[in-house]
Amino acid sequence: MVALYLVLLGAVLWLGSGLAALGRPSERISLPLSLLGSGLGVAGAVLCLVQGSAGAMDFHFAGFPARMAIDALSAAFLLPLHIVAGLGALYGSSYWPMDAPKGTGRSLRFFYALLVSAMSLVFLARQGIFFLLAWEIMAVSAFFLVGTDHEDAKVRRAAWTYLVATHIGTLILTALMVLLARRSGGWLWIPILGATSPKLDMAILVLALFGFGFKAGWIPFHFWLPAAHAGAPSHVSAILSAVMLKSGIYGVLRVSGMLPWIPAGVGGVLLLLGAATALYGVFYALAERDFKRLLAYSSVENIGVIGMGIGLGLTGRATHDSWLTALGFGSALLHVWNHAAFKSLLFFGAGSVLHATETRDMEKLGGLASRMPRTARLLFPGLLAVAALPPFGAFVSEWVLYRGLFAALMRGYPWSAGLALPALAVVGGLAAVAFAKFFGFVFLGTPRSAAAEKAHDPQLPMLIAMGILATICLALGLGSAWLLPAVDRVVAMLAPGASDLLVSSIGHELRVIGGFSGAVLVMGGLAWSWTRRSGKAQNSLPEPNPPTWGCGYIAPTARMQYSADSFSDGWAGLLPGRRIRMRRLKAIFPTPSTFHTELIDSVGLGFLEPRIERLAERSLRLRKLQPGYLTIYLLYVLLALLGVFLWMLLRPWLMLLLGWPP
Amino acid sequence: MLHDILITLTVLTNFTLVATSRIHKSIQVAAFQGVLLGLLPLTLGLGFHIHILLMAAAAVIVKGWFIPFLLRRALAKVHIHREVHPYIGYTVSLMLCALGTGMSIVLAHNLPLKPGGPFALFVPAALATLFTGFLLLVSRRKAITQVVGYLVLENGIYLFGLMLIEAMPILVETGVLLDLFVGIFVMGIVINHITVAFDSMDTRQLAELKD
Repeated sequence: MVALYLVLLGAVLWLGSGLAALGRPSERISLPLSLLGSGLGVAGAVLCLVQGSAGAMDFHFAGFPARMAIDALSAAFLLPLHIVAGLGALYGSSYWPMDAPKGTGRSLRFFYALLVSAMSLVFLARQGIFFLLAWEIMAVSAFFLVGTDHEDAKVRRAAWTYLVATHIGTLILTALMVLLARRSGGWLWIPILGATSPKLDMAILVLALFGFGFKAGWIPFHFWLPAAHAGAPSHVSAILSAVMLKSGIYGVLRVSGMLPWIPAGVGGVLLLLGAATALYGVFYALAERDFKRLLAYSSVENIGVIGMGIGLGLTGRATHDSWLTALGFGSALLHVWNHAAFKSLLFFGAGSVLHATETRDMEKLGGLASRMPRTARLLFPGLLAVAALPPFGAFVSEWVLYRGLFAALMRGYPWSAGLALPALAVVGGLAAVAFAKFFGFVFLGTPRSAAAEKAHDPQLPMLIAMGILATICLALGLGSAWLLPAVDRVVAMLAPGASDLLVSSIGHELRVIGGFSGAVLVMGGLAWSWTRRSGKAQNSLPEPNPPTWGCGYIAPTARMQYSADSFSDGWAGLLPGRRIRMRRLKAIFPTPSTFHTELIDSVGLGFLEPRIERLAERSLRLRKLQPGYLTIYLLYVLLALLGVFLWMLLRPWLMLLLGWPP
Repeated sequence: MLHDILITLTVLTNFTLVATSRIHKSIQVAAFQGVLLGLLPLTLGLGFHIHILLMAAAAVIVKGWFIPFLLRRALAKVHIHREVHPYIGYTVSLMLCALGTGMSIVLAHNLPLKPGGPFALFVPAALATLFTGFLLLVSRRKAITQVVGYLVLENGIYLFGLMLIEAMPILVETGVLLDLFVGIFVMGIVINHITVAFDSMDTRQLAELKD
């Protein structure tokens, strides 16, 4: 009960901080309020995860009984929400100052706070209508956040695309809530007991996958995601990527947990869908040259990996295999936490780069490691984490997923697991390449433009936020064994009968992994400090320090470096959405030539957009129905009325004619 | 008996309204129809409750005096006397009105309503008045005739509501009257504004406002 009150108080404080941002004294009140709110939220979530204490509060909402409750599953999502939100507020205080032009500083803080409190309610709500309300507030405040930089036409477009996508999702979710209410006999979300009704359960599950999929961003519902996450201010991108996408994951887990029975095929389909999403995301991340879009596509990839875990867990539930269930859901949950940590760190780092250079094009950057050394050092753990390398957390969550997939192979569900395994391996490898590209072309080499030349480290609050996240990334990896009891608690919520399985089975190996990587880390640190000291002693001659990729030329230029596009060309050339424009060199003494590449999301811009535009063009014909004469409009009303009357007159005869019972 | 006569008269006023081209006359007839409908609740043999008396008085005053008064005032400002060139001619309108009335009777027979009682003529008359109102709204050009059409349309709805007079709370009735009043008021403003803006009362001018 205490946990619930803490989280609720946290949400209220966040709302207060949003309102304070609109008032006069603003930042001095708003920031501490939001930090305090986050602290309370984190405390509540941790309390619930550690002690397993649940709490519920009943009230009436819009005339229906409603409930807010906290349990391990809610807490598992509230925890990253409040950590990322609090650090984001800290980061945002200097990233997007209060006195930003056009009042965006204030509106940004207000909607950010509204987003956080609405999302807290999303994770607490246990009633259909209340949930939809919180969901909608969350979605709409995210729209305003994405559109913060509304002077830019691209940002406006991204925001509108997002709004349309999220509302299609909400529409599906509304249908889902109605079905769910029908199934359980009320709007309250209670575990559905008793007899199964396969058709209804299947419909509920499919609607949940579609509706929440629009938020989570599984293909083909991801098309709004890259532009929206790239266009938003960076700390907003962080919370959108790290937490808001997960609200879709949360929804799927929550709804599937309420059903008494899971159809067998759904898990396998989700597993494959997740694998496809991960592959799609990682390929596009690799080919992208806008580094924030690269991060957004990497979110798509990670959502795919999480989806694989959920698919495995659902397969386990359907076949009453608690070992598979625990590994699947456990890996999904661990990855949710890890992704929240490293993706917000990466977006914060990207924001620092953007802040310093004002460009998102990797071809214009380079050499920032020497100009922004603190940013580079703090960002580096995030890069290792996203590439799923030890000793960071993502390695552990993918390890658990691999264990699950191999276990599924042993149990004889080979078709989905057999396809997913190589996909996961390819995804891990390509993610490493993609982020080698990110780091290599942003931070290494020599600057490719004047903006990168003059870059410098950001202010202290931004660095502190990044430092805390980097520490969390490392802690999640080294201390993963201690997370298992909490994970077990959540898994027990999702699939009764699988309690304490993870601690007893893989607890030991995670301790070994953590201990080993910790030892390697310590030894590496010692070795580094030793070589540095001894190097200092020996190094008496000053080195000339030539530029990277100087190749021994006398007057090297920055344009001689590898470009980001050429680096990823080997893989990205396969993508259907890549457009290349180049003029071939013809004569012996060729004239200046150009080369230009562009990446188009083949689902969103490639497939959907031309069709939607054609539809809009065709719909213009309907404009003829709107001539502007009042009498014509009244005539429509009259005709509709007559039509209704006629229908009522003719219905009995029609029924007779067709032989339907009246 | 008396209410049957009143209802028959109401239906007859419908025909007069459709067939007349003089605006003064149509306002007069609409007012007369309002008075007929206002008196109707008194003839239903429900006794003379304060509730029914109040409602009759309100209907007679608003429909029979106040709204026609507003319309006449608007008319005096714009100096128009006839509806020239309606979209649908007077003869055709009359035939359509007759057709609508006939259809209403057929429809009322087929509606799942309780047979017998004093309300046998209510449903067909209400539907017929509704159609007449729509016909006026659709077929006339001058804004003021359209307002009359709107008034007749509301009369039809009122007539339908009378069947529920015992069950309907007075608040709902006053709500209906208020609704009517606001409708007329808004259209009065529209009339005033298109006269000022386009120097004419022809609603076709409003098509220019389309985007």
